[in-house]
Amino acid sequence: MTRRDAGWLVVRAAATIAGQNFFASWMSAAAHEHGAVAPPEPERWNNYKPQFFSREEFGILESFTAILIPTDETPGAREAHVAPFIDFVVFSAAEYAPEMQSEWRRAMAQLKTQRFGGLDPAGQLSVVEEMSTPESEGFSAFRLIKQMTVYAFYTSRVGLIDNLEYKGIAYLTEFPGCTHPEHHKT
Amino acid sequence: MTKYDVIIVGSGACGGWASMALGQSGFKVLLLEAGSQIVPYRDFHHRWPYEMQFHGMGQPGLLRKHFKGSTEYNYRIMIDDRENPYTTPHDQPFRWSRSRVLGGRTLHWSRATDRMSDLEFKAASRDGYGMNWPISYKEIAPYYDRIERFIGVSAAAANLPQFPDGSFLPAMPLNCAETIFDTACRKIGFPATPRRVAQLTRMLNNRPPCHYCGNCFNGCDVGAMFNTVAVTLPPALKTGNVTVQCDSVVSNVLMDNENRARGVRYIERYTHHPVEAEARVVILAGSSLENTRLLLNSQKGGLANSSGVLGHYLMDQISGTAVTGFLPQLKNTAIRNDDGKSGGLYIPNFTNIESRSGKGKFIRGYAMSASGGAAQFPSFAADLPGFGSDYKKHVKSLYPSHARVWMSGGEMLARKENFVELDPEVRDKWGIPVLRISCAHSDNDRSIYADFFERAEELFHAAGGEIHDARPSIGVPGSLIHEVGTCRMGDDRKTSVLNSFCQTQDVKNLFVFGGGCFVTTGDKHPTLTMMALTARGCDYLIDAVHKGDIA
Repeated sequence: MTRRDAGWLVVRAAATIAGQNFFASWMSAAAHEHGAVAPPEPERWNNYKPQFFSREEFGILESFTAILIPTDETPGAREAHVAPFIDFVVFSAAEYAPEMQSEWRRAMAQLKTQRFGGLDPAGQLSVVEEMSTPESEGFSAFRLIKQMTVYAFYTSRVGLIDNLEYKGIAYLTEFPGCTHPEHHKT
Repeated sequence: MTKYDVIIVGSGACGGWASMALGQSGFKVLLLEAGSQIVPYRDFHHRWPYEMQFHGMGQPGLLRKHFKGSTEYNYRIMIDDRENPYTTPHDQPFRWSRSRVLGGRTLHWSRATDRMSDLEFKAASRDGYGMNWPISYKEIAPYYDRIERFIGVSAAAANLPQFPDGSFLPAMPLNCAETIFDTACRKIGFPATPRRVAQLTRMLNNRPPCHYCGNCFNGCDVGAMFNTVAVTLPPALKTGNVTVQCDSVVSNVLMDNENRARGVRYIERYTHHPVEAEARVVILAGSSLENTRLLLNSQKGGLANSSGVLGHYLMDQISGTAVTGFLPQLKNTAIRNDDGKSGGLYIPNFTNIESRSGKGKFIRGYAMSASGGAAQFPSFAADLPGFGSDYKKHVKSLYPSHARVWMSGGEMLARKENFVELDPEVRDKWGIPVLRISCAHSDNDRSIYADFFERAEELFHAAGGEIHDARPSIGVPGSLIHEVGTCRMGDDRKTSVLNSFCQTQDVKNLFVFGGGCFVTTGDKHPTLTMMALTARGCDYLIDAVHKGDIA
């Protein structure tokens, strides 16, 4: 939304009785850049200390997820704090989904038998490659880590905005419909 | 004790409307709500997934186990099954999504606002199955008009006999994926129109228009979408005649010795103290099944149940897995705001319109919807093979082209063997017996779903789409959250609980508003019809009270 749009919205909203409530909330919301600009990544992941995984396991998780979604022209799993998020989620599963913790224990055991932590980057890449084939013994661990990585990454600020360039959660005065003549042609 | 003219139980779409209509007619109204108060301007905000502790999925297991149908954004306005359990036979799961909060499910509903037609009201006359509704389209149309004009419905005229037009605000524009599906519909002869939604595209009654943030399911912060709290409650309160009391869990209707309702008993949510409230008229306007539960709990064998059909003919419209995939025209295109309006393209029922039955496979019909584009989460990504930079690029290229065709609702046949009763043992947190729900699909229901799936694939192909996921699986009953029936209306008091004004056949000053009265589900979204029947029932009630007929 442009500054001009915002000004128009404020005038329009303030012009009515119900709008006055809206106006008050909009103003306070605007102070937080409510909706118009995505807030920054939360600070809770800075200096995060793993609660479920051991230090060694957490290192494995960081390397593995960074291979799945690497940092290239756009940020990857590391910048999106995927490993801290996964640790936090799996730790929090104790209460209502303890089976999730067992699944992650098994996946981690699988990676340890492959000595994943001790391998150089090329070695780690070939292990992930091997595990990614459905016939592989490690495929269920691969799927588990990939599913959670994909979720963590594309729901993060880095994944959703920097990578996917998501345009939603905006303040618009009109919805921009399709303007492509070719989409209307049978 | 204050004696009110009317007690209304429940503050959802129907309770909100009734409190406004009756308050404006000078009745002293007590509106009882089991849940807590909500102030949208204070309680609802745009939120990004990474602002949530669990990025929207909630604490692992919590929502799946205890808050059915909710997300981390909205679960606190949904029901906690631990406090409000229900039971089912082991082999017949039923998914019951409920809210207990001022405004009820209007706070996070899908806003789809459709008129039913005589093809549905009088379907029994056409195909010989079941019972007709005791009203016709002509009788309900003025009430559809009244509701639409007040709540604001953005839509386009479709000029179809099975999908009557109404009083509309301008429709929201279609996004690219919806436009491609719309074009495909014209190519293969499917009717199509933007989904009709109770969401403003222009200012109405001092409510601001939609600002296309796409947060509707988490509660609208400005009242641009219809909900009780923003739309019907303010004018109700303005009359000075309506008292709203939250955190009051009603357990049963109280009767006097002359077969008249004299009030209700409720339990204070936090103190658990039982309280009696009295009124000349009692209106049950909770959810379809909660109303029936109250009647069942008010008298042995069920209050207002001389017909014996109370609790029976439970229905939820048919739903199931969607057909999803990609529209190649949109691959690798610039990302647009595609999900700001969270609407879609609506494909009204086109089966059994001319002939009596569609190719002899089933009776009745169903509606579909289609949409696509860059959504807040790329739900296809986890299933794409591979990893690494190529994978990331692949996700990005497909992201704006992801699309789906889903079932908006198919008619589930009304069958007596689908029913609710009080569970003999289980009680809720307030000691009130809970419902035991027995509901299963019929062969006709399954045929309807199968036909939908074929037609959805046909539409996808006509749009030039590549299908990514097509695993047909009919949804567990209740999944669509269009549960209706169990308290049906009719002309014959031997086979119905309510008359066409939602007044119980047995107790003159007892009314039941909501989906319970539905004789059939039809193939339209049910809320507008519930509200129109509420408005009609209120007109009748006001007139009858003034004439001295009922209280």
